[in-house]
Amino acid sequence: MGGSDLFVGTLDVLILKAVSQGRMHGYAIGRWIRQTTKDALNVQEGALYPALHRLERKGLLEEDWGVSETGREAKYYKITAAGRRRLRAEAARWKEYADAVTLALAAGEA
Amino acid sequence: MRVFRVSFGERGVRRDVASEIAFHIEMRTRELVASGMSLERARAEAIAVFGDPALIEAAVRSERRRVVRRRDWRDRINSIGQDIKYAVRTLHRAPGFTAAVLVTLALGIGVNTAIFSMVNGVLLRRLPYAHGDRLVTLEHPVRSLAINDIGFSPTEAADLRASLSSLDGLAEYHSMSFDLLGHGEPRRVQTGVVSADFFDLIGVRPLLGRTFIRGEDHDGAPPVLVLSYRFWMTALGGDSAIVGQTFTMNDRQHLVIGVLPPLPAYPDRNDVWMPVSSCPFRSRPRVKSDRAARMVAIIGRVAQGRGPTDAQREAAALETRWHTAYPDAYSPAIKDAAVKVTPLRASMTQSAAPAFLVLLAVAGLVLLVACINVAHLTLARHLGRQRELAIRTALGAGRRRLLRQLLTESVLLSLAGGAIGLVGAAGVVGALARYTARFTPRAEEIVLDWRVAAFTFAIAAIAGVAFGVIPVFAQGRDVVSRLRDGGATTSGNARVRLRGLLVIGEVALAFVILIGAGLMIRSFARLVTTSPGYDLQNVVTARVDLNFTKYSKAEPIRRFTDDVIERLSSNGSVKAVAIATEFPASSSNAQNLSTFVVRGREVADSSRLPKAEISIVSQGYFGALGVPIVGGRAFGPADRDTAVPVAMISLAAARKYFAGGDAVGRQISLDGHQWATVIGVAGDVRQFGPASDVPEQIYLPLTLATTRDLRVLVRSGAGAAATSTLIRQIVHAVDPNQPVTDVVTLEDARRDAIASPRLTTALLTAFAILALVIAAAGLGGVIAYSVGQRTQEFGIRMALGAERQAILALVVRQGVGLAAIGVLLGALVARSTAHSLTGLLYGVQPTDAITYLGVAAVFIVVALIACVVPARRATAIDPAATIRAS
Repeated sequence: MGGSDLFVGTLDVLILKAVSQGRMHGYAIGRWIRQTTKDALNVQEGALYPALHRLERKGLLEEDWGVSETGREAKYYKITAAGRRRLRAEAARWKEYADAVTLALAAGEA
Repeated sequence: MRVFRVSFGERGVRRDVASEIAFHIEMRTRELVASGMSLERARAEAIAVFGDPALIEAAVRSERRRVVRRRDWRDRINSIGQDIKYAVRTLHRAPGFTAAVLVTLALGIGVNTAIFSMVNGVLLRRLPYAHGDRLVTLEHPVRSLAINDIGFSPTEAADLRASLSSLDGLAEYHSMSFDLLGHGEPRRVQTGVVSADFFDLIGVRPLLGRTFIRGEDHDGAPPVLVLSYRFWMTALGGDSAIVGQTFTMNDRQHLVIGVLPPLPAYPDRNDVWMPVSSCPFRSRPRVKSDRAARMVAIIGRVAQGRGPTDAQREAAALETRWHTAYPDAYSPAIKDAAVKVTPLRASMTQSAAPAFLVLLAVAGLVLLVACINVAHLTLARHLGRQRELAIRTALGAGRRRLLRQLLTESVLLSLAGGAIGLVGAAGVVGALARYTARFTPRAEEIVLDWRVAAFTFAIAAIAGVAFGVIPVFAQGRDVVSRLRDGGATTSGNARVRLRGLLVIGEVALAFVILIGAGLMIRSFARLVTTSPGYDLQNVVTARVDLNFTKYSKAEPIRRFTDDVIERLSSNGSVKAVAIATEFPASSSNAQNLSTFVVRGREVADSSRLPKAEISIVSQGYFGALGVPIVGGRAFGPADRDTAVPVAMISLAAARKYFAGGDAVGRQISLDGHQWATVIGVAGDVRQFGPASDVPEQIYLPLTLATTRDLRVLVRSGAGAAATSTLIRQIVHAVDPNQPVTDVVTLEDARRDAIASPRLTTALLTAFAILALVIAAAGLGGVIAYSVGQRTQEFGIRMALGAERQAILALVVRQGVGLAAIGVLLGALVARSTAHSLTGLLYGVQPTDAITYLGVAAVFIVVALIACVVPARRATAIDPAATIRAS
């Protein structure tokens, strides 16, 4: 997928995080990722959709058609219980990994 | 607000994915426009940051398809699960209906399972030999003498082996009984004597050790034995160290080289097996060289790509060459001898197949009756559920959905019924197998295997669909909408008519089954009551097969038989004693048909000579069996040392060959050289079992013969057990090493001879009773329903002065009328199908009027009883109450 310097799996975690706050359509999820990461992750927006559907297939998200703020019918996503569990696990793993790398880099400077 | 949306199929997938992506681009464009971009630039920018929409769409679609497929499956399983849950709940609320249906179906399916397990074990399973499908038996029948098989001589077997290219192997077989010494008490063992390639030919691997190898059947090879599984287990306790040990047989040491796996008792129930070189008879120079010494049977294996008919053609050509090349060995009497090749499977099962197939067909009819009855019950229940079905329709359940629900219920019931039936059948299969062992060697293969289970659930599922769908569609095309309309309504009459039709069908089918059972019962009664020509009560028989080496001459045989007869006769409880080569109750008697010449009536063409069965009997034979002497006299003490040989003939022979003149005093000869004077005529005896015709017989006195395989017959007042012991004691007193085998009363022997018709009759009778009860229940149910419908009408009639008797008659007439139509229909069907029983019937025609009338009478009586119970309820109506209620 387009120009991703994203760590593998990071997009999945970000999607789960976004949707964990409430049901969202695909566009809103993309916007949330752009804004919260301050565009630091240079993702092509289309890459979001295969990921969304993959997560749905794995049972981590479920679909929920609704009417958008612009009055159009749109596909919304909700997080499932399994999705929440996965998010917690991935977040913990990510933190552990980041801590370890941070520690290692700091040790070199000291 | 939520919109419920379902995407079906590929079109739904495309639409959903396209709309999701379009929405994204639209929203992005809006955002860019809001930040001040022109619409055109904003759209281009939105697409640029999105990536190639076509590529993304394709990627999403493939994910999406998997999501949809998964969800569809889940939905389907969920809804089936819901249907099942709902069905269980509704059935649980109707315990009476559920129990009635389960019992009916369990019986209907159970009988099919039981019979199918017999058919499967005996007729369908592959033979337990690796090459079972290619094995054939060779028989040597002589049509003009009505002999099924005269056997083959070893020379003929060797010729066949050398010249039949359509067989890729051929083994010879015969069975003898020998004394086996060396492990515990001396035993008489039935011994299969075969060429060394026998086991390789049929494809049997030993359980222990090995079977015979090439050369072990050559002259001078050291004697070896292979044990049957049954003998190894029962006589030797399954001793695994048996291979390598030795037994003494026929005064020689025999080394045990192997033990066979469990196999059908075919061709005979042999205890041990030996190669032909070990058999003292088969190794005699005369037997080996005499083309007419026909004593062996032949099993062959058809070569790949060839068939039994090829073998038969080749053998026929060979036989013709034999007859021209060796006229001495092919006397004119057997000039039409012709080799017959039969697949082994057919020859092993031919005695069981007709009965089994009839039983399976009738079991199928029983299931049909059961299904119709359940369709009835279901129909009645649907009518009672109109309100419930109407409510479900109002809640949005469509026609398909309701049908599916009804089908779920019926299939659930039928599968449960099938499971109960399977358990029930498992309980009787052992008994069936033991019983069928009396008439087929494959009985031990009757078990409940996966095929029987698959058959059970398959017919259960079919039955469930049938009785679930029939009541729905039988009511008219749009039953569901009718059910939806609900209410007590106009179509009551139509329903009564439909249920009447179902009852007529049930009665007709049950009638057909009862005719089958009735014919079998009449035939069986004939079999049992037809006089066998002798008195079989209180007679015990025992086989005494004299040791060949010890009793090689006439004199010791005669000393032995005289001694045994004298000692037995002197016992106080013994009324009569005889020794003979055969006893008449046995169904396994080999035919021993022979031509003979009457002095003064010699004919040149030997094929036109008179024929008779030859039996060799001691002087007390006719007295001991209670066979009357109808002319002349029986063998007596004076005949034993006389220089002029004597003979007796049976009444049938006297009538056929000496019509219009006295047979006594005439001279007859079997070979045209040695003549015997007929001294008496004995009453006719059914020599070959109760179903056989009375044969023409010639009796020769035992004292003139050198037969060793003898039967001792003792009539005694002391009871079977005591008499059996006495025979053993006395034979052992005369010769301590002489085994006594096959001790059986004549009554038991006769019972075994009629085991197959007895089983068929018993099962058909059970089926018939079952079908009758089910049909009667169906009839009673319809009448009860109709009485319920007509309560008001009856009330009004009575108020207008109708007698209770008249009402009773009205109801009973309706029920008996239905039954009568069913009986007529059933009689028509029975008349056109009963001929399939012909082969199983003895002394009864398949159109036997007494059976038809008797069964019809039974039906009318049962119909009366089934109607009177509900009809009495109609007469108990209080006219005032019913009229007020409306």
